[in-house]
Amino acid sequence: MMFDLAVLGGGPAGMAAATEAASRGARTVLLEESPLPGGQVYCAPPQGFVAKPDRDRRDGDALRAALAASGAELRTGCRVWGLGGGPLVPAGADALPFTLSALGADGVPFEVSARALILCCGTHERIIPFPGWTLPGVIGLAAATILLKAQGMLPGRRVVVAGAGPLLYAVAAKVLAGGAAVAAVADVATRGEWLRALPALAARPDLLAQGAAWRARLLAAGVPVLSGARVVAAEGDDVLSRVRILARGVERVVEADALCVGHGLVPATEATRLFRARHLHRPEDGGWVPMLDEGQRTSVRFLYAAGDGAGVRGAAAAPASGRIAALAALADLGIGEGHEARRAEQAAALARATRAGAAMARMMALRPEMVAAVPREAIVCRCEGVTRAAIEQAAADGAATLNQLKHHTRCGMGPCQGRMCGEAAAALLADARGVPVAEVGFATGRMPLRPVPMDAILGRFDYADIPVPAPAPI
Amino acid sequence: MDLRIAGIARPPPVTIAAFGRDIQAHPGESVAAALIAAGQWRFGEGEDPARPRTAFCMMGVCQQCLLRVDGRLVQACLTPIVAGQVVTPA
Repeated sequence: MMFDLAVLGGGPAGMAAATEAASRGARTVLLEESPLPGGQVYCAPPQGFVAKPDRDRRDGDALRAALAASGAELRTGCRVWGLGGGPLVPAGADALPFTLSALGADGVPFEVSARALILCCGTHERIIPFPGWTLPGVIGLAAATILLKAQGMLPGRRVVVAGAGPLLYAVAAKVLAGGAAVAAVADVATRGEWLRALPALAARPDLLAQGAAWRARLLAAGVPVLSGARVVAAEGDDVLSRVRILARGVERVVEADALCVGHGLVPATEATRLFRARHLHRPEDGGWVPMLDEGQRTSVRFLYAAGDGAGVRGAAAAPASGRIAALAALADLGIGEGHEARRAEQAAALARATRAGAAMARMMALRPEMVAAVPREAIVCRCEGVTRAAIEQAAADGAATLNQLKHHTRCGMGPCQGRMCGEAAAALLADARGVPVAEVGFATGRMPLRPVPMDAILGRFDYADIPVPAPAPI
Repeated sequence: MDLRIAGIARPPPVTIAAFGRDIQAHPGESVAAALIAAGQWRFGEGEDPARPRTAFCMMGVCQQCLLRVDGRLVQACLTPIVAGQVVTPA
């Protein structure tokens, strides 16, 4: 079926983009991997789960209600594994409409086509490896948020929370409120870094008050909050039982049955990389981001990016960037008119929300000193079991870019397709070569974008029906 | 102590068979969350003792929680609990 506009990803940016486009007359489809739209921050609970609503739930419900009323077609629980059209046509051929190949919630493959495509693919978590991060009981900070908020589940009974950014305190406070013990909070940022972030946060007194309340609750509960601290090892036999933390030169061992750890958020750019859009390396935005104009247009015609996937700015900034992308797409497609006033209003909203978001993104940016501290025996690529030592060997053997590192070591070639290790591997390769991290580039975008069963690509067939030519005599 | 946070209304629990034992879980929970609540952090041995199968990202990105539900390969973090499921290692 042909749409004017397809939106990939149903977080705050994608919901707002689809709502804006559909309510202004564009035939719009939104594709989302989760069973319900919302994204990670505004994720809806499973059907039949009822919790006391908080601010995130109310904001998410408002976006979901507007989307449902907009007339946009919503396809949830579907896995988009293929993208085509745009520049992905033979040289000299016209840019075809975009095509999205997906596996439906029912397991049945389907395809949609659209004249324009807005990518709202969000982020995934950055993890700077340490020995034992692959041990069961160690999960991401964003993963802990999903467990706590969407599933109403504690990650453990005695939990260490470690890493960078505001998620650290959100997770620790929620673990405490849920009735478990927080054995320690290990923040890689120093107190000085948080103090320097305060002026930018003053634009969002609500966030500031929330952060102060989280911290006060931790201190009241006697939770050790360590600044300038990092996890040096997670240990245990079959599952996690203790965490080694290094804080200002002192190492301590903390007993725990769960470790929630994350070092920031990385924009999910596999789709813009697949379309060969131009990218810029902006550590303060989370790493590689598509190059965008003021209408969220990428360098590829009729292809747009919005939300954290276009540069980490937080959920509060995401809806405005989604609406701006939708308005640009409508203008480019010649659908409706009089979008300018709405665009100006949303641009102002985006600028306001961006200031606090950018300060938080800086706290979560890649830290070169953490990369330098990764031990040689630590596993970097979890899918393929590639260590730092193997990456350094590849660099010594001549691997100069992330793509060449793949050829040398299979780093990033497992089922996660480099989403978990790509950034750390690039930083370690750059470190080994003694060059800036941007110089080693990023892995070329490849399909399938998500693992997909072969039969979804091949379709149903009976082996006996395949015509097999008779063997020719030699 | 139950890892499920009190004060949240959930559908009545059902029974699934996971790694050879019966566990109770609420329909709609992810299989990964239900296994963690049942004390089953290890989802399989994988290819390397240093990298056993387990939940890590909980959002369908890392692919580490791969296992079989009723024989089909799925990500435990994206698969909701349904009564009677049989969960086995990948």
